[in-house]
Amino acid sequence: MIEKIAEQLARLLQGKITEKIDIGNITDEREQYLAKLLNQLIDFMQEVHDFIIPLSRGELAEIKISPKNFFGSPFKELHSRLLHLTWQANQVANGDFSQRVDFMGEFSEAFNSMIVSLENNEKLLKRKIDDLEKALSHIKTLEGILPICANCKKIRIDGTDSKKEDSWVQIETYISEKTEAKFSHSICPECMEKLYPDFKYRITKPST
Amino acid sequence: MFNEERNYNKFVWEDLGDLVKGRPNLGLDVPVMVYRLLQYTLRDVMITELGVSKTDDIFIKAGRLAGRQFCENMMNRELDFNGFVSQLQKVLREQAIGILRIEKADFENMTFTLTVAEDLDCSGLPPTDEVVCQYDEGFISGIMEAYTGKSFCTKEIDCWANGDRCCRFDVRLDGDTE
Repeated sequence: MIEKIAEQLARLLQGKITEKIDIGNITDEREQYLAKLLNQLIDFMQEVHDFIIPLSRGELAEIKISPKNFFGSPFKELHSRLLHLTWQANQVANGDFSQRVDFMGEFSEAFNSMIVSLENNEKLLKRKIDDLEKALSHIKTLEGILPICANCKKIRIDGTDSKKEDSWVQIETYISEKTEAKFSHSICPECMEKLYPDFKYRITKPST
Repeated sequence: MFNEERNYNKFVWEDLGDLVKGRPNLGLDVPVMVYRLLQYTLRDVMITELGVSKTDDIFIKAGRLAGRQFCENMMNRELDFNGFVSQLQKVLREQAIGILRIEKADFENMTFTLTVAEDLDCSGLPPTDEVVCQYDEGFISGIMEAYTGKSFCTKEIDCWANGDRCCRFDVRLDGDTE
């Protein structure tokens, strides 16, 4: 029996899960106890094997290991942490940047840095989109067709009655309200000559 | 509060006293050993006086009361679920209660699977078949109840030892079965 047990142990050491020993055929009490322990070891190794293979493939759901199998403890911990990281990754994917991974060494640092970077990038992107939308709304306003009086150059406010006097505003009032542009009033030479001929003469007359 | 006969709970956060004033030299922290000495000896005596089932029941109820008060006084209950979970993880870490890790969370149906590593109540205990975190079960339920206003049931579904002890809990609305 000792040879049989040694043979089974050697196979286990080679990474092979062996068949259990039939205890019913063993009469010696000590040998029976030894065989029972070996069978338990085989069960534990089989369970660890069945647990770690799907885990290595990333199949995290529905894999379990019995509480008494202490060989499985580190793998259970690994399984738990992978489940936690999966949850964390899903949270980030759904736009939740408030979570952090604690006490998982270099992985925590890398993962938490990634969350911070993603959050900053998203904020930056949102700000840029906001700026672009504002700029776009201005462009649309200026690109539209403006109803303008052919004579006095007043512009009619969008959606108002063209027959009413207060529907029409000065062009500078209209543009100031619709855009960020501001007006600084001056006078061109042609208008100056027309409106203030004396004044124009005084400032253009050569000094003697 | 401490000596009167009654049949209802009366504990409020202020009953903890002014700890800063009360311990100007020794400070606010005590070793985990002291906490466990109190809890384990209390549990030991209660088992002999009341039996295991009644003792478990009392620990769950006490944990629930503590969890509610903890949440009401240590946490911001105005946050959304994501923010609340993040805050809970942070507060449990800062108060050295344990390292919270969410494995699954269904906010719609309010079911959660989570683990607590380096747990104040049981980390480092020799591996046994026993589930020992009844106080934690109540504590987690109490926190969820104070946050949601709904009744919760928390069950420790797994624990294992690997240097430290890590506990896995199933948290769901009271009366909700999987």
